[in-house]
Amino acid sequence: MVTKISHTTLFVSDQDKAYDFYVNKLGFIVKTDTKMPNGFRWLTVVPSGESQTEIALLSPLHEGMNYDEETKKAFKILLDKNALGAGVLYTPDCRATYEELKTKGVVFKSEPKEQFYGIEALITDSCGNWFSLTQPKSM
Amino acid sequence: MPRQADIYSRVVAAKLFIDENYHEPIQLKHISQKACFSRFHFHRVFTKIYGKTPLEYLTAKRLQQAQHLLQQEGISIQEICNSVGFESLASFSLLFKNRNGYAPQYYRSLAFIKNKLAREQPHQVIPHCIIQNMFS
Repeated sequence: MVTKISHTTLFVSDQDKAYDFYVNKLGFIVKTDTKMPNGFRWLTVVPSGESQTEIALLSPLHEGMNYDEETKKAFKILLDKNALGAGVLYTPDCRATYEELKTKGVVFKSEPKEQFYGIEALITDSCGNWFSLTQPKSM
Repeated sequence: MPRQADIYSRVVAAKLFIDENYHEPIQLKHISQKACFSRFHFHRVFTKIYGKTPLEYLTAKRLQQAQHLLQQEGISIQEICNSVGFESLASFSLLFKNRNGYAPQYYRSLAFIKNKLAREQPHQVIPHCIIQNMFS
């Protein structure tokens, strides 16, 4: 029986830029930020102090990553297009969060819109991923 | 009657003001004045948008920043308490313990041990499967 996800990975094109987006702009909390002697950086964040699942922000383009050149090239194409991610971030108020993140320079794929499940905007982390920013109807 | 977008931009500006000035002795009346709301209306709108009262949000912001500073060496707990905007060490310690389950001193000891391990033996904190399968 699986009882929880302790770690999950989000591939990013640049870990410094990802740190800025997830920590400084979204307000995520850093759980671990350490480097192996060969330069591999292990950077994990959580969306709030209560969350148990750590998100590892990994760059598949790092020279030490165990991918062949063709795979790295494929990753680069997808990351450059902001085609990865597709997760859903919950917010108690989509329009307020939209205003705040816009002020902080976050790039949006679409403005908040009413959907049958709530209010939703689409954001990008500018490191390869996009997310739905959703205010669910029940919140 | 202000437009909804205008209300949002004023409340967001007030929240960003708290984010930037949490270490100062901020009072609700100052923030509500800045946002051009009455105290009552600001309290109501802020709480509706963020799910926390302005005071709860300010306290959470201060405690979060304290958590971050407690992981750093060379700054005393009293200094951290003052630098994030708490006036009393006793109330800071109590609020911190209520939120995190540990007193600041104990939280700091755990963080130092974890950070030392991460710095000196990173393979102990990175899941082994990641090192084995993703990193050559």
